[in-house]
Amino acid sequence: MSFTLQGMGVSRGIAIGPVYILHHQVEITEYRIEEKQLESEIERYRNALKQAREELREIRDQIPLIYPSRDIPSPNDTAIPTTAAEIASFIDPHMLMLDDAMLTQIPVEIIKDTRCNAEWALKQQQDRFTDLFEAMDNEYLKARKHDIQQVIDRVQRCLQKAAQPEEKYDNTPDIPEGSIVLAHDLTPADTALMPHQGIKAFITEHGGMNSHTAIIARSLGIPAIVGLRCARRYLRRGDTLVVDGLHGVVLGNPDVRSLRYFKNLQTEQKRKRSELSRLREAPAVTRDGKMITLYANIEFPTDMQAVKRTGADGIGLYRTEFLHMNRSPEEGQPDENEHYEAYVKVLRAVDGPVTIRTLDLGADKQVDGGIARSGGAVPANPALGLRAVRLCLRDLSLFKPQLRAILRASIVGPVRMMIPMVSSVHEMAQVHHLLCDVKRELEAENLAYDPEMPVGAMVEVPSMAICSDLFIPHVDFFSIGTNDLIQYTLAIDRVDDEVGYLYDPLHPAVLRLLNQVIVQSHQADKPVSMCGEMAGDPRYVRLLLGLGLRYFSVNPETLLEVKHIIRHSDLNKLRPLAKQVLNSQDSHQIEDLVAQMNVL
Amino acid sequence: MLEQEFTIVNRLGLHARAAAVLVRAANGFASQIRIQKNTQPAVDAKSIMSVMLLAAAKNAQVCLTIEGEDEQEAMQKLGTLIQSGFGEGE
Repeated sequence: MSFTLQGMGVSRGIAIGPVYILHHQVEITEYRIEEKQLESEIERYRNALKQAREELREIRDQIPLIYPSRDIPSPNDTAIPTTAAEIASFIDPHMLMLDDAMLTQIPVEIIKDTRCNAEWALKQQQDRFTDLFEAMDNEYLKARKHDIQQVIDRVQRCLQKAAQPEEKYDNTPDIPEGSIVLAHDLTPADTALMPHQGIKAFITEHGGMNSHTAIIARSLGIPAIVGLRCARRYLRRGDTLVVDGLHGVVLGNPDVRSLRYFKNLQTEQKRKRSELSRLREAPAVTRDGKMITLYANIEFPTDMQAVKRTGADGIGLYRTEFLHMNRSPEEGQPDENEHYEAYVKVLRAVDGPVTIRTLDLGADKQVDGGIARSGGAVPANPALGLRAVRLCLRDLSLFKPQLRAILRASIVGPVRMMIPMVSSVHEMAQVHHLLCDVKRELEAENLAYDPEMPVGAMVEVPSMAICSDLFIPHVDFFSIGTNDLIQYTLAIDRVDDEVGYLYDPLHPAVLRLLNQVIVQSHQADKPVSMCGEMAGDPRYVRLLLGLGLRYFSVNPETLLEVKHIIRHSDLNKLRPLAKQVLNSQDSHQIEDLVAQMNVL
Repeated sequence: MLEQEFTIVNRLGLHARAAAVLVRAANGFASQIRIQKNTQPAVDAKSIMSVMLLAAAKNAQVCLTIEGEDEQEAMQKLGTLIQSGFGEGE
């Protein structure tokens, strides 16, 4: 019987192979140690520490041998280049912990004082750590308790292995080549050697998008799924699995047809990737000679490494929310210089323009470091509440440092400023007023800025799409954010699974709005780009080209694929079909026409 | 004995990797090196667990107390490390 499990895909790619269950959870029991055995129990503990140290050292020493050059040769060309030194830097803290008196001395004292076994003493010490970490109020630092837990788990396994040699406890290394590893959690050390050991993918019950292990998986280009709760309850050793790291889906014991499907998909993806990597230098030009501008969306300055591998024409969406995330109350809000430095870093790393979106906080993106809401009540409809530009205009102490930083950065390179969630012309006017004030301030302080810096608006709220002509005098460009535009147009909560089926980028209402914005911008000679997920979805690229879109801004991972589609498209053939799409009555007809465009 | 205050400047604070860099450096000196945050008791800067348990986030003030034959160099080296954000990009 085949079955499906859903987790969080953190590293894309498809892998097929038998599952190998790593690190059986060790059960820790307490028992009493007699006086005469005390010395040997302490000795047993010290040996386990020694063995854990040796295991880690062995792994760390292999890293530079496996990845001798500075960049890890990665089968997935969109992976972030990571140096061997960086991978090793995740392992180093674990090695230091094994030498720390808190692990070398204190458990020994516990053994002596309470006459308990080594496992129990270590567990006591771990519980203390857990309590201390739980009391921290910085979320990021609090999460480091996993590092300590992982180290202690390794020592516990060494204790168990020594007690019951062979079979029952897997001595890590001998995982059959071609396996898919399943574990409760994996350490960076476990992950780093996987490609070398011939492991095709991994699944963990624990972890998140940005856990160390997920970051390493992406760097190594191994498909990975995390957060698959209780997976070990459902998977048996030797089950054949298909892992789809993009969608976070695990298919167990697939039938012949599913297996054939995924094998074909896998081959196709491999072929495509090697083909796409050659497109880096190629222009995004259509068959009929029209140049299309292809920007990248980024979230962090470090994303620039991935952007560079794609040859993007610039940054069409630089999200700035990260500056507000993972902050403790004592850190407070980011100041002007922190903003400035984050912008300059990206400007120096890219050739084309950088479109900086002002803070889009609120709704699904709550912040740390305490932004006060008046009243403090949780709004019933956060997506329709005090967020993005609304929040910024309300709280100038949040907005002004950002405006100042963006203006100051505008002399370092071509900066475009973009305002999210604008719903009325009035809001744009307020932003312009504020900008004037800030510019005067900067002049008074003799700080330079580019007076010609373009200021644009995101088209996300239907009110703006419906009367885009009214906004034209107030903006230098538009950028369509399809995710919110679709959510607001169709009144569908993006995070509510129950209505997810209604979320449809091809809904005639959505397409009419897109068309209207594009046509009116062209008439007024204002550039219009699209930075929502729709722009980077291979299914819709040709439709958007046919509707007249000339600026796309997409995630670095899909940029080359979009470029490939553009280079194989002929606008003369797409335009009439796009027109038919706009005149269609129902979604089936639209889907047929879009499918027709995609096989041209 | 030397004593000096520093501000943690890297974005993630004294997390595991930053703590490891600090502890490795501290272990290179013979002096006794202690680190203190606010009014909490000072801890051994050569112990990674203790340093992590300080929970020193960005902008936290930490005080280094160093005593021993190489205290001058130790203060110089560790101070530079903290002020440079442990060489982290952000």
